[in-house]
Amino acid sequence: MTRLPVPDRTRALARRRHPVARVLGLLGLVLAWEGVTRTGWVPPLFLPSPLGVLAAGAEMLTTGELAVHIATSLRRIVLGFGLGALGGVSVGLAVGVFSLAEAIGNPLIAATFPIPKIALLPLLILWLGIGEASKVAVIMLGVFFPMAINTYTGVRHADPLLIRAAVSFGAGRWSVIRKVMLPSALPMIFAGLKLGAGTSLLLLVAAEMIAANSGIGFLILNAQNLMETTKLMVGIVLLSLLGLASHWLLVRLERAALPWRAEA
Amino acid sequence: MRRVVTAAVLAALVCLATGPGAAQPVQKLKLGVLKLTSSAVLFLGVERGYFKEFGIDPELVYFQAAQPIAVALASGDIEVGATGLTAGLYNIVTGGVRIWIVADKGREWPDYNLSALVVRTDLYDAGVRTLRDLKGKKIGVTQIGSTFHYNVGRYLEKEGMALRDVELVPLQALPALNDALTARRVDAVATAEPFVSRLESSGAGRVIVNTGDTFPWQIATVMYSDKFARDRARAVAFMRGYVKASRAYYDAVLAQKSGPAHDEVVRLTARYTGAAPELIRRGLPYQDRDGRLMSGDVGRQMAWWHEHGLVKARLAEKDIVDESFLREALKNAGR
Repeated sequence: MTRLPVPDRTRALARRRHPVARVLGLLGLVLAWEGVTRTGWVPPLFLPSPLGVLAAGAEMLTTGELAVHIATSLRRIVLGFGLGALGGVSVGLAVGVFSLAEAIGNPLIAATFPIPKIALLPLLILWLGIGEASKVAVIMLGVFFPMAINTYTGVRHADPLLIRAAVSFGAGRWSVIRKVMLPSALPMIFAGLKLGAGTSLLLLVAAEMIAANSGIGFLILNAQNLMETTKLMVGIVLLSLLGLASHWLLVRLERAALPWRAEA
Repeated sequence: MRRVVTAAVLAALVCLATGPGAAQPVQKLKLGVLKLTSSAVLFLGVERGYFKEFGIDPELVYFQAAQPIAVALASGDIEVGATGLTAGLYNIVTGGVRIWIVADKGREWPDYNLSALVVRTDLYDAGVRTLRDLKGKKIGVTQIGSTFHYNVGRYLEKEGMALRDVELVPLQALPALNDALTARRVDAVATAEPFVSRLESSGAGRVIVNTGDTFPWQIATVMYSDKFARDRARAVAFMRGYVKASRAYYDAVLAQKSGPAHDEVVRLTARYTGAAPELIRRGLPYQDRDGRLMSGDVGRQMAWWHEHGLVKARLAEKDIVDESFLREALKNAGR
């Protein structure tokens, strides 16, 4: 019996991880950046060196300046994100499950969702003042909509077969919602959370750039006003780290909440 | 036939493009200003063609705050800037990019209105008349490191208080200060003419400190980008036009309190800034007739900012002030 070599023609489509390339790409960027600043072609005023940014960050950390900004921003994000997510999931569930809520909520969401939330900031400041409330509120609104829409979509796409099976096994309404609809909506809810996390960072910075005294957005704007480019970069790096951290946290949470989705 | 017509049209176009003044080319440059009463001297110079007399045609570029003008000078987007001195400007120069302070463009001076501290009318009526009464209150400024920040800091120190005794709220732009005070979102604002007069005439606020009466200082100057400063001939030519404008301004509105020349400056400043003439009349700032800077004041400002941690390092005045253009322009400028 002869063995025919069968070339695997799907190999080109395989998604390998390339762990070395991942690190090299990032490292290369930082090295090139440091190199450019070392040559002196670009004055440090316009592009500070990565080492300079690191040093400035360390100094701000020891003086306690950084801690204040991070704490303020985190509080705003956690409050805004938490309230927005909670509201979004509740409304999304209600609209997805009850036909009356759907009839009322759907057009309302469709009409208000497309408004860029930054545009509401001046109005929110007028209503709630320039303090914490308006900043938290704008983040809350930004997170609410993707959460509500995703939860709604997730609930509506719950497998009707599963729902019927549950009902025929004697499950009540709450049981169906809790044991079938909510779990099958979870992947969509987590997609919404990830979307919302990005949006909340964006809105945080925007809100803190208007009449704030602390926070990462204030740090960036203030550094720009004082032309302290190195501090400005510290703020940007901080935002990037915050984004990474929230993503990592959400991925962890998703794995814990959705053990049946091993690949997630 | 057709070819002849084409040639004629082309010739006409060439004539139009070069123009009659082709022998002595007028050089364009960008001049960054704010739409404030204190820019009057530059509006006057442009309007009366004083710069053009020396072969310079400045195009006015409007900004919202002083700091962006300093950034535009550093990046080379504008050649000349005429505005307030900010901590950001000093940080740019400390950071290794040169900008040159070349002439006076407005001083806080006794009996002249330029910038002021305006408190909300309801608080004023309730007895808030001095800085002591503003302890713990919210004071709106444009930006941290702005001339207004400096003003508030100096007011407070004069009263034996410090910046930590009040809460500074940076609102980024001058119009936003007026809105915030009117909407009662801040208790007082540090602002400049014509916004001060606007607040008083609308009834939203009352002046409790007039900067010039409290402590005179060199709030605004003319500045050159490094590239423009190296272009010596043009830099001096601009200064000749500026000296002419400065003297005309001084003679029209500072040496006399009324008259047709005074009215003309008020009228054209009103047109350029979009503010009502009666508001402009109340806020024309003092400046030296020859455009000379207050000696040593730039150094004093840098020392103050440095002391308060907003400017990283102290510079020698000679690294940021260059009055040689002005001296050269004054040489054969008569009186």
